[in-house]
Amino acid sequence: MSNETIKINVPILARVEGEGALDLTIENSEITELKLRIYEPPRYFEKFLEGRNYYDVPDTVARICGICPVAYQMSASHAIESIFQVEITPWIRAMRRLFYCGEWLQSHALHIHLLAAPDFLGFNNAIEMSAQYGNEVRRGLKLQALGNDLVTLFGARSVHPVGVKIGGFSRAPNKKAVDALLMRVTEAKQDAVDLIHWLDTLELPEDNQDFISVALHHDNEYPFNEGRIISDHGLDISIDKFETHFKEMHVAHSTALHCLLDGKPYLVGPLARVNLNAGQLPADTKAIINGLKTHFPSKNMFHSIIARAIEIHFALIEAERLLINYEVTEQPCLSFEPKKGTGYGCTEAPRGILWHRYDIDKSGCVTSAIIVPPTSQNQPRIEQDIRNALMSLGLDKTKKELQLHAEKVIRNYDPCISCATHFLDMNLVRDGVVENSMLMDLFKNADLSKTAIIGVGSPNEGDRLGWQIVDMLQQNERAVELGKKGMSILKLDRPGVALGEIIRGLDCVLLIDAVKQGEKGLSFIQIDVDQLINPPKQISTHEYGLTESITLLRNLKMRPEKLVIVGVNKVSKSVVTKILNMFIND
Amino acid sequence: MVKPKVAIHKFSSCDGCQLAFINLGEPLLVLAGLVDIVHFAEAGPVDESAKVDIALIEGSVSASHDIERLQKIRANSTYLITIGACATSGGIQALRNMADTNQWIRDIYANPAVIDSLDNSTAIKEHVKVDLELWGCPVSKRQVINAIRALLFGVMPEEEKDKICMECKRHQTVCVMVTNNEPCMGAVTRTGCGALCPSVGRDCYGCYGPAENANTQALANRFEGLGLIKDEAARRFLFINSGADVFYQQGELMRETD
Repeated sequence: MSNETIKINVPILARVEGEGALDLTIENSEITELKLRIYEPPRYFEKFLEGRNYYDVPDTVARICGICPVAYQMSASHAIESIFQVEITPWIRAMRRLFYCGEWLQSHALHIHLLAAPDFLGFNNAIEMSAQYGNEVRRGLKLQALGNDLVTLFGARSVHPVGVKIGGFSRAPNKKAVDALLMRVTEAKQDAVDLIHWLDTLELPEDNQDFISVALHHDNEYPFNEGRIISDHGLDISIDKFETHFKEMHVAHSTALHCLLDGKPYLVGPLARVNLNAGQLPADTKAIINGLKTHFPSKNMFHSIIARAIEIHFALIEAERLLINYEVTEQPCLSFEPKKGTGYGCTEAPRGILWHRYDIDKSGCVTSAIIVPPTSQNQPRIEQDIRNALMSLGLDKTKKELQLHAEKVIRNYDPCISCATHFLDMNLVRDGVVENSMLMDLFKNADLSKTAIIGVGSPNEGDRLGWQIVDMLQQNERAVELGKKGMSILKLDRPGVALGEIIRGLDCVLLIDAVKQGEKGLSFIQIDVDQLINPPKQISTHEYGLTESITLLRNLKMRPEKLVIVGVNKVSKSVVTKILNMFIND
Repeated sequence: MVKPKVAIHKFSSCDGCQLAFINLGEPLLVLAGLVDIVHFAEAGPVDESAKVDIALIEGSVSASHDIERLQKIRANSTYLITIGACATSGGIQALRNMADTNQWIRDIYANPAVIDSLDNSTAIKEHVKVDLELWGCPVSKRQVINAIRALLFGVMPEEEKDKICMECKRHQTVCVMVTNNEPCMGAVTRTGCGALCPSVGRDCYGCYGPAENANTQALANRFEGLGLIKDEAARRFLFINSGADVFYQQGELMRETD
């Protein structure tokens, strides 16, 4: 397995939100493997920016993320404006902060209510939660809608807004629209206060960990578009020095590059920002924080949900201030001449610092682009956190408990793979036994008259394991009981293409086959046949292996409804018990 | 009465079109009362292989394992609707279809062998039958709700094929091309967004894809008349919907560099 970490010099593009999974191995009460896999296919944004005009950049990078397009537009605008030596006006600066308030508001409200809160209240999702917590969900949706409307004020829509230009905005909003929003923002402040207090009453796990917080810092304000990159471990650099301290690496299990600070994982996002910038919050927000049972700075990642709510309150106060002072301008966008050069942009996306670097040629076209999104920065820290969090939870907990806890930990980071981690497919290997949560219950309550356990093998040494397991099953009381209820338990000698005929008419089939000796030292592997995209050849010791047979069955549409392969590399009672547990309710 | 079942699936995308549902606010709870949302991973419910009345698909086919998954979704769905540019034309990531993707992977990833990525990003209709296409990057709340509402009434939703120009006229938006020499794509782009870009004083960039009977050559000539060099004019067509035939062909005709 080539899963070692390799350093690379060439930047990535990778947008990281999307599909993810968690691989976890526990041996002798120790975690020996832990991987947060991100397998969202790469979309190559940095590459197709090459050769495009600077004016296409804001509309291009917005498409990296539907949830935080404003952040991408802002980091890109600042980077390119620095090359063209455009000094933005106070009006543009203020309006960018207002625009950003909208994005934080909608993204944080979405995450708290639709993604995270159901975890802590014991629901599968917000729609279920709304039956019991109708007012809270409605309040959340209202805050989210207000955030979207603030973005729409400048961008005409909230997803991939169209109002941003290098040099400013296409148009200044009219006073009437601003005043209407001001009323709603003022009214929503109380909602934010109630939200913070509600979250403060949640029973959040106690799990203090040692980690490095990283955020932008500005002496006079809570950071959005501008500042130095600082950490609570002494880092204090201007944004153009990012690459000397932060390095991106490609690890095999992720299409998102991992980013490390001087070789170490670190945290970006709301908790890191509150930890480092609480002093820059408005007095009203500070007063609320002082009255909470939760204290900041905090080393408990579960407090992220409260940090997010605190930032909602901040965003409303900041938006109110900016809306009150609003004046229509004659110059919403500055004019300039494109210049050749290199520029950097770093702004605080809802999920943490989003760093961009562009090289532009003299005609104004991009020659290279590097984009480092927050989730690729948090990914090593997430893996570290899951490891620590599961250790303190106790590795002897049931798989379900371990999985739910790991999911909660991941969601604290609001990774753009939140969507995927809602159906986190956790493959747990405990003491040599692979437990696939999707498959453990597959055969429970099956019609036993249409069910079979088939040991596959040949008389060769090492290839008889499937048969030997069947021998043991035939002498096992519980298995005999299943047999009396109609289930078939049989052995086959290299069935090959005949397998289809043999299992015709069956609904549920469990195939037991030998796997190569030494295959990760496993004694039992369940394989979801549907996951066999490119059947790994080494899974079987047969020349015409089971995977080939099954691929054929699938292509011929002859496979039974439920089909699982169990690969074994030793014969033991525990393997037999595991197999039977797949059929019998405990 | 059994509620119709709806599933929302994601392929390669930015998640922005799913937000057309998540951003509904309270109407989302109303929708959840009218239909049974059985699969919508971003919002919570997960049952990828459920049989459904309506499947909505966001995202393009871009990795090898996508195709089989898509075929299963098709087999399990009565109506299959694509939402957004990625699902309908391959999306912005279809820009890679004109490049050597393998070289890009080698440029970006230290360990290229582990990256599963097809050479092309393709629309859903290239692989399975699609019953209705909703264009846009992103689709709007109005589009998705109209479509579901029409299907609940038992009729096929009406497809919007008009040009953005028509919408600007109805809104009495001043033409940004005529008055400001902006290289606006509105004359060849389909309505549905509400003609947003001209409404804020800028050029449309074609994110809703080609309108019916789009005279792209005439518009391309106009772009050159505005002073755009051929490559710049080509990039107007080769952007969010470069995988849509009408835009692709016009862009390729004008493109001078690789």
